[in-house]
Amino acid sequence: MTWRRSKLLSFAAFVLPAVMLILVASGIPLVMNFLYAVTNWNGISKTISCVGLDNFVELFTDDEGIRQATLFTMKFAILHVLITNVLAMLLAVLLDRGLRGSNLLRAVFFLPNILSLVVVGFLWKFTFTRVFGALFDYTGWAVFGLSWLGQPNMAFVSVLLVSVWQAAGYYMVIYTAGLQTIPRDIEEAAIIDGTSSAQRFFKVTFPLLMPSVTACMFLSTTNALKVFDVIFTLTGGGPGGTTTSIALDIYREAFVNNRYGYATAKSLVFFIITLMITGILVNFLKSREVES
Amino acid sequence: MMRRTTLDWLATALLIVLAAVAVYPVALAVCNSVKTYREIMVDALKPPKSFQYQNYVNAWRLMQYPRVFANTLAITAVGVAGIVLFGSMAGYMLSRTKTRLSRFAFSMCIAPMMIPFQTIMITLMQVARRLHLSNSILGLAVIYWGLGLPFAIFLYHGFVKTIPVELDEAASIDGASPLRIFFVIVLPLLKPLTSSIVVLEVMWIWNDFLLPLLMVNSRQSTKTLQLAAYSFFGQYISEWHYALAGFVMTVAVPVAFFLLMQKHVVKGVVAGAIKG
Repeated sequence: MTWRRSKLLSFAAFVLPAVMLILVASGIPLVMNFLYAVTNWNGISKTISCVGLDNFVELFTDDEGIRQATLFTMKFAILHVLITNVLAMLLAVLLDRGLRGSNLLRAVFFLPNILSLVVVGFLWKFTFTRVFGALFDYTGWAVFGLSWLGQPNMAFVSVLLVSVWQAAGYYMVIYTAGLQTIPRDIEEAAIIDGTSSAQRFFKVTFPLLMPSVTACMFLSTTNALKVFDVIFTLTGGGPGGTTTSIALDIYREAFVNNRYGYATAKSLVFFIITLMITGILVNFLKSREVES
Repeated sequence: MMRRTTLDWLATALLIVLAAVAVYPVALAVCNSVKTYREIMVDALKPPKSFQYQNYVNAWRLMQYPRVFANTLAITAVGVAGIVLFGSMAGYMLSRTKTRLSRFAFSMCIAPMMIPFQTIMITLMQVARRLHLSNSILGLAVIYWGLGLPFAIFLYHGFVKTIPVELDEAASIDGASPLRIFFVIVLPLLKPLTSSIVVLEVMWIWNDFLLPLLMVNSRQSTKTLQLAAYSFFGQYISEWHYALAGFVMTVAVPVAFFLLMQKHVVKGVVAGAIKG
């Protein structure tokens, strides 16, 4: 009996601090989220009344802002995930050929990821205005003369460009690690069989790289759906709300409009959407993985 | 070695172009940070005529750089230390104990990995205020503990399985207490994973923006480097020479950290990928 008790005591001593901290940071807030989602809580007043499912009704039927933000976020996420992963894989494959300077170039491509998104937003504001302006003076190319942050369509492209620029190096590192686990003899056998480089990539390398693809797609999708910082600092969600993401919309609803109850309802729906999307994605990708 | 093919040349050319795109904005920002305002406005591409170190002196003063730097350092150090300490302890015990309670506790610990931060941020601020963690450097670090632990526990839990349980048992027979076994025998063996986790968490906490914005932005004395940079950029957006000097000062430490720890950063990123 005492032996069991001492076991339990040491179990508690090791695990309880972590459990308490996780409860404070995630568990309790999540439970509170469910409670506040059916109220009209404004964050200040002492009286909070239950409004039933009104928040959810408004959310789905009468909120142009969140509709636009959802469309933006989905469009952004799909393009960001595709472009980032294709580019990251391309970089990883090109740098895996054993060319001179590969290690230096890997560091170069990872560099943007070291910068926080706050400074990345500022850096590109500078680039789009001063640098592109000067480049336009030198080259006269129309692409440098555009209003990159001022027009709705261009602002979307800018956010996409900057986010891909920042993220690609991160996924390149994961793909590089994946490539290094592929046994060389498989590729050598394919070379002896007389395959072309393209055939080798699509028929041999890519299927064996699927575990890395799953990981990168999962990570980039969750990050893209949560996109906030880069928009906050680059466009502020504008012009005219065209680059407002769901995360930014939730932030504004709570901390600018002070509609905390409504914002928690939004954040719950957001949670369920991200769970569903990433769940479907990971299941699909896992089913495509093969053994080498 | 293989002979150089046209494909190699094409690959090299493409890589050089892409590398230029990756570096060019950063390089120009650094170069313009030592120019005068007029020089920047006339031609941002030209190299600086003189070295305007005053830009840095002014940015240093206006950002209150020493203070916000110290704050960020403290938050990152305390935050990472707590995540590593509590995460390794819990991960170790949960991995070694094979009871139903332990399995349940483990799934409860790692489940929050699936919750987007924006889902809980609103109510988390309420909790933080009630517990008097808001507007405090230490309070922010404590919240980082809670947010960082699920993933750390997940990684440690898996890694501990690779350490033979006979080591624990032998020490236990010699009369060592569980805490002693952990700190003297197990923790040193976890070092390869710990270095990856430290790198991952440093990169996250040092560069994080939204949580500090919500928790410690209301007072100048508790601001982090990212918050100071954000408001500095906002205030001096038309005075590029100051803003760019602020930019360089904000990124200098993370870039130096990366260059020194490159191997560990790569290991950390790869370790972080098994979340999927």
